[in-house]
Amino acid sequence: MLKKDLLELCLLQLLAGGDKYGYEVLTPLRAAFPDTQESAIYALLRGLGKSGLTTWYMAPGGGGPDRKYYKLTPAGQARLEALGSDWRHMRDAIASFGVE
Amino acid sequence: MKQAKPLTKEQYLKKFSRAVRWRLPPQESEDAISDYRELIFQPERDESKLVEELGTPAQAAHLLTDVRTYRRWLKVFAVLAFGLFLIVEWVWTGRYSLTFAALRAWWYPVLVMAAGLPLSLYWFRRHEQKNGPLPRRLALLLAAVFLFGAGTLAWNWYVLSPRFLDFYRETYPVIPWQIIFHRELTINGGIVCALLAFAGLVLAKCYDRRWLALYTLALTVAVLCSFILFHMRRMDLSYAMANSVQTYLFTRLIPIGAAGLIGTGVALC
Repeated sequence: MLKKDLLELCLLQLLAGGDKYGYEVLTPLRAAFPDTQESAIYALLRGLGKSGLTTWYMAPGGGGPDRKYYKLTPAGQARLEALGSDWRHMRDAIASFGVE
Repeated sequence: MKQAKPLTKEQYLKKFSRAVRWRLPPQESEDAISDYRELIFQPERDESKLVEELGTPAQAAHLLTDVRTYRRWLKVFAVLAFGLFLIVEWVWTGRYSLTFAALRAWWYPVLVMAAGLPLSLYWFRRHEQKNGPLPRRLALLLAAVFLFGAGTLAWNWYVLSPRFLDFYRETYPVIPWQIIFHRELTINGGIVCALLAFAGLVLAKCYDRRWLALYTLALTVAVLCSFILFHMRRMDLSYAMANSVQTYLFTRLIPIGAAGLIGTGVALC
């Protein structure tokens, strides 16, 4: 699994927990992957939308202008499960070498 | 490593908008700008860490770019811009640095138009989009270029008429003001139109593909100007065939103008 796949897995997992607006998605991912710029994460989020894994809608923000909320699609849910399965296999494979 | 210059939120968005409009089709770039506006103007966002967190505006735009399509666009743009550069050079100097053995020099600008029109129309109709209603500035500029082109042709019709050429032969070697005005109109008008065509190309990429109509119409007028100039520079008007030069030139100028007008119509659709 590449770093991009790990980022994608985390991004999809975040959205699986509920619809989120851009800043809410980008901030925790940047905190978890500090060497990755938010623009790269945004590009990934945009790519997921183009692939039909996420969709979006506009909703009122907290007192400010409307915000764009991202939502997981059924295809996104399936992709999350596939990536999650890959991740568990990899983690088990690495653990079998004694890596903690 | 060179430290990135800090930017305010407004500066960042402005630079990002410019970069992304140049790289993405209009609809996609508007979406990306709208998303970045939301991200940048979050109350929690620390302005001093903008570049650190998001990368430079150019890097951010690059991450959204479909590199293959963008490289193809740069190649198309280079070809179209080079054609305009050649026209400016020909109009300004009256000389040509490239030669095509099979063609007379006055057909060179028409060659540029024959390559530029289909290539630009193909690219923009295939890869770019319209964006809202027809821009008012575009309509005004198209009207201005059209009137200038029609005026230039009308002036040429006048100075190439048998009656005026007879008068010119009588006053020769004194050059009448009508000829001096004709030369200035054609040279300066040709250069301004080539520059307007360049602006139309950039605006069509960045905002709305219908700006290509400015490129096609201004290119057509610039081509007409350089076609006339190449003819005039190689023609001794004092001994010109007074009865045939007007007809000779206009039977060539009118089809070129008509092709340009059709191209402009297609670009607006």
